[in-house]
Amino acid sequence: MIEISGLGKTFIGQDGAAVRALDDVNLTVQENEFLTVLGPSGCGKTTMLKMIAGLLPWDQGEIAIGGAPVRGPGPDRSMVFQNFALLPWATVLDNVAFGLRMRGVGKKEREERSRELISLVGLSGFESKRPGELSGGMQQRVGLARALAVEPSVLLMDEPFGAVDEQTRRLLQEELLAIWEKNRLTVVFITHSMEEAVLLGDRVVLMSARPGQISEIVPVPLERPRSSDVGGVERSSDYVNITAYLWERLREMHEERSVVAGSGPSV
Amino acid sequence: MNANTETRAPARTGWVSAAGKVNASLLSLVVAALAWEVIGRLADVPFFPPLSDVLGVLGDLITDGDIFGNLLTSLGNLALGFALSLVAGLVVGTAMGRYRRVNAALGIYVYALLTAPSLVFAPIFFSILGAGQASIVAVVFMYSAFIMIINTASAVENVSDSLIEMGRSYGAGEWQLVTRVILPAAAPMIFAGIRLGMGRAVTGMINGEMFIAVVGLGRMVTQAGKRFDGAEVLAILLVIIAVALAAIALVQFVDRKVTGWVPATSKESG
Ligand SMILES: Nc1ncnc2c1ncn2[C@@H]1O[C@H](COP(=O)(O)OP(=O)(O)OP(=O)(O)O)[C@@H](O)[C@H]1O
Ligand SMILES: [Mg+2]
Repeated sequence: MIEISGLGKTFIGQDGAAVRALDDVNLTVQENEFLTVLGPSGCGKTTMLKMIAGLLPWDQGEIAIGGAPVRGPGPDRSMVFQNFALLPWATVLDNVAFGLRMRGVGKKEREERSRELISLVGLSGFESKRPGELSGGMQQRVGLARALAVEPSVLLMDEPFGAVDEQTRRLLQEELLAIWEKNRLTVVFITHSMEEAVLLGDRVVLMSARPGQISEIVPVPLERPRSSDVGGVERSSDYVNITAYLWERLREMHEERSVVAGSGPSV
Repeated sequence: MNANTETRAPARTGWVSAAGKVNASLLSLVVAALAWEVIGRLADVPFFPPLSDVLGVLGDLITDGDIFGNLLTSLGNLALGFALSLVAGLVVGTAMGRYRRVNAALGIYVYALLTAPSLVFAPIFFSILGAGQASIVAVVFMYSAFIMIINTASAVENVSDSLIEMGRSYGAGEWQLVTRVILPAAAPMIFAGIRLGMGRAVTGMINGEMFIAVVGLGRMVTQAGKRFDGAEVLAILLVIIAVALAAIALVQFVDRKVTGWVPATSKESG
């Protein structure tokens, strides 16, 4: 369980202007919940995720995982990055084994474990390829395998499928669902897509910008497993209604923002 | 899950363009050699003899065996001076690229010494270290270290934040981060600096040998110059050029071993 309370953060930009990236964010992520986070650009999604990952300090509030306060990165969490963040000089096998290696797992064991995960994400046969030889979709499979290899209890994903084409994205969504349905762990998944947020999530956290706050949490009562019949899920009235509702809310936020921007002093 | 269809063919320079490159450099060598020969014969001045004379003298130097002892001395000076600057380049450069404070503290000196004409330090070394190998090694160091420091520093600074963040998120400590993420990621750019450093090291070696301790190839050049033996000066110059090219080829060889992962297409255009 991840407990976030009163989380606040102000960035001082290079021009000296203060940006309130997060303001009084309160959120509880249940054990083994798949939580998706949706919000306009710049509302603090990445900032919040990096804080959960222990990569970024905050100004106010507290984050606790399983009751223990977060003080830095830890073996209970792993992260999947939007731009994959693979080591370009390392093979698929070495990339997947990276986290295990940092934790001092011996060569034999980490290679064995990495091979299992490579096969789980459908990349068997590509162990000795380098990232530059793979498509974006395959690179993110490597990123996912690397994250799962360390057996985290919390998986943090920052727009993991944002940089791949639509068709690959759909395949990856189905694969992620299938993997998660077999082996449930706590997932915090950031996305820009209403459809993705609803298809994958148990709940959708809707954030608003300036200051970054949680505006609403929308439960997704769609049945699981969803991976076996994604088409059916997408035709269900719950799916259709929730995505429509989310878009309505996001559109309001964009409009509010353009009104604010329009009425402000012109610089 | 079938990912087979997603492979992309690795980009490699084909044999056609590789062969084209060899031909191009061969052609340029032949043209230069011919030009040298013709101009040398036409000009008929003592300090620019035609290529054939120079090659004749070079042949004599080799058959006499005169050149080998001196060549070895020079290579020893080069190797030692370059090794020291390489270590300094990597250690100081990494520290400067990674830690803002180190950069603030050392940056000004490194830039000052990079731009200062390195030979002005020769008298200082001469008076402190004497007219021995140590002075020459010090000159080689002054010539080659700073370019490598600066290149390494900016290579390290330019490593993408997301790779570093990735490393941290998987629990990498500072040492692991530097050795397993930052240095490998910076390697291609670091090697570009090492190549420049090697070229400068050869220059430093010759200058040191000519102006401080008169030994090695530098001594041969100086002595031939005093005898107004233009052909021998140029013959030794050819040897020096060969040393420089060989040294740089060595750097490139190691570079290819270490950074073979960089796609060929982003390195060179056919
Ligand atoms: N290092 C930083 N320095 C200054 N400002 C920052 C920094 N990081 C983030 N910000 C600001 O904080 C706000 C939130 O940024 P964040 O990256 O968390 O947004 P996001 O919701 O992830 O946006 P996107 O959807 O575009 O990825 C933005 O206004 C951003 O400009
Ligand atoms: Mg973001």
